[in-house]
Amino acid sequence: MAIGASLTACGESGAGSGTTTLEFQTAQATDSPLLTVLKRVTADFEEQHPDITVDLKTGGNDYESQIKVRLAANDPPDLWATHGWSRDRYGQFLAPLNDEVWAEHFNDVLAPAMKNDDGEFFALPVDTAVSGLIVNETVLDKAGVTADSIVDWESFLQAVRAVADSGAVPLTLAGSKDGSAGNVVDWLAPGAFTDAQLASFTEGDFPSPAYQKVLDVLEQFRQEGWINQDYSSATGDDMARALAEDRAAFALSSNFLVSQAQQYTPDVTLQFIPVPALNGSKSYLIGGENTAFGAAEDGEHLEEAKKYLAFLATPEVDKALAESTGSLPGLTNVDADLGSLAPSYEKWVTPGKVALQPFFDRVYLPNGMWNTVVTTADSVIAGQSSPAASTEKVASDFSTLYKKTD
Amino acid sequence: MSVQPPRLQEDATTVASTVAHLIPPAPRPARRPVKRFAGASVNLLYVPALALFAVFTVYPLVSGVRLSFTDWDGYSPSWSWIGWSNYARLFTDATFRSVLLTTFVYGIGSTLVQQVLGLGLALALDGKVRGRSAAKAIIYLPVLVSPIVMGTFYYLLFQYDNGALNDVVVALGGERHAWLSTAASGVTIIVIVNSIQFVGTSMIIYLAGLQSISPEYTEAAMLDGANAWQRFWTVTLPLLQPAFATSIILNLIGGLKLFDVIQVLTGGGPGTATSSVSTLIGTTYFANQAAGYSAAMGVALFLIIAILTVLANAALNRRRLEQQ
Repeated sequence: MAIGASLTACGESGAGSGTTTLEFQTAQATDSPLLTVLKRVTADFEEQHPDITVDLKTGGNDYESQIKVRLAANDPPDLWATHGWSRDRYGQFLAPLNDEVWAEHFNDVLAPAMKNDDGEFFALPVDTAVSGLIVNETVLDKAGVTADSIVDWESFLQAVRAVADSGAVPLTLAGSKDGSAGNVVDWLAPGAFTDAQLASFTEGDFPSPAYQKVLDVLEQFRQEGWINQDYSSATGDDMARALAEDRAAFALSSNFLVSQAQQYTPDVTLQFIPVPALNGSKSYLIGGENTAFGAAEDGEHLEEAKKYLAFLATPEVDKALAESTGSLPGLTNVDADLGSLAPSYEKWVTPGKVALQPFFDRVYLPNGMWNTVVTTADSVIAGQSSPAASTEKVASDFSTLYKKTD
Repeated sequence: MSVQPPRLQEDATTVASTVAHLIPPAPRPARRPVKRFAGASVNLLYVPALALFAVFTVYPLVSGVRLSFTDWDGYSPSWSWIGWSNYARLFTDATFRSVLLTTFVYGIGSTLVQQVLGLGLALALDGKVRGRSAAKAIIYLPVLVSPIVMGTFYYLLFQYDNGALNDVVVALGGERHAWLSTAASGVTIIVIVNSIQFVGTSMIIYLAGLQSISPEYTEAAMLDGANAWQRFWTVTLPLLQPAFATSIILNLIGGLKLFDVIQVLTGGGPGTATSSVSTLIGTTYFANQAAGYSAAMGVALFLIIAILTVLANAALNRRRLEQQ
């Protein structure tokens, strides 16, 4: 009995006497640059707070499933990464953080994605996703084009043709296991719809012809051979390598891909530019919640978890974390060194002249649609389904899920 | 040609039965509580197995059926009863229909390949063949390997870049091929990988079946002048019926439930072209956040497997009885 009691005490409090152990599901793979920084700063935190230990848990492609199982079992970790869903999916489980000391520095660019109608937000935004069309300047140079010449969809297609003629891969993508096919939709969709069509999503109407335009682009790229041949078996890491080795010219992805590529070739010449709009309107950037960490509202160690988040929110720590993802910090009092991407940020983000569009699926599609977006786009890229058939599938799932969430 | 089996064993049984009737019954031993307790203790040995079965099979099954009548998203604390809606949706869901068809290809394709290969290997290794034990061990070894490991191994083989097969193709002057990029090639590769992994099970079942056939049958056939093919077709094959039933049903169930290898090799893609119902259940539950609908798919798969198993068992038993 006594042994059982002491074991229970250890499980609740951690290894040392009087020590609280915070379980933190990071969503980061073991080799991720962000996890490396997290380990370092967590060690600093533990040194400053000997009564708190943070157990950093790694996560891979199945992170989303892992966290959902924990929530379904009513056994959430003390802290977890919200991967873009701090409000709409995890808000019901997370403690509001808008009264924390650091909350005054919350970057309001993130408000549409992270704050609810009452002004509450539920995660510490480590960084702010601002992404565009990633370009490999070396590959473009060999093809005789420059990034500055890509100002609209037509000029983008001209650059793509020039790259293809030079023997390089115009657009690098990874197969269905990675989800990059869904990114293409997220990146291109804002430029495919009119404001009225975008509004119709929120009213439960799915504008199929406009959505099909996005999939038609994928079909065109497939038919022309403008997508990497190894698409089906490629992973995100293969995309990074293709860019690092100057084999591919463009990618539609978050800037994390640039950090990954730099691990292979530190001086690879990657930048990002605004995404050209399919419908001829102005080019835009994609942005919103990226890396963010929340604390379980009903967690036994909520106060300690908030203390840890406050530590991560200190300028020097958030700076290190944001730099590891190659993104802007999520707090306004932090000035990160954006490394090789600094020129892109200075050119396109700092002046504030390029519109920042939210991630399409998070704003306009019901919660749970992402897998459909990925698999239908994947079917088109692999030539297994027509854009029309895939659009029909997306529209059908949209209708089912919209009714459920309405 | 038909061979009449010897009646020696049956005659011996009849004689033993007759003799038994002639012997007066032995006096009954006095009932003692210890013996009753001993019997009870033997029955109690079933309890742990029953408890485990109840916890890990019955409870999830009942829970899954219950879940299939809800609209639960898989993680939220709230949900509603929605009656038979999830089951009705199964009939109108084109993705489920196409994935079910692919699942039948996995089930039937894997079963066919494993029967042919398994029986062939069993016949080759039945008898005094040099290196027989080593060959059996090597063929059976993949059964002991996790399907995830097996899938990863073959992924490294079929991968476009850095894949061993493409390296060989390039070395021979050919061009790289995206082996896993289409539904047809993806499904074929998955069937082959699954069959290679579990052919050892079929081989062992058929070997056991072959070794249980008395040599007297084939010897009698030889005396009647039957050649090797006639002996195989009219003696060995009919007497292997019980082994057929066991192997076919096990392989069919395994093929219809296929999950791990698909997940590792193709992730069910492109699109859902190589998905099985099992992988679709996973993505529907977690990614599409439709736990209730996913549970309905699970119940449907359970019923399909149960019905097919009963039908296959009945057909194989009927054939066996006809041959007897």
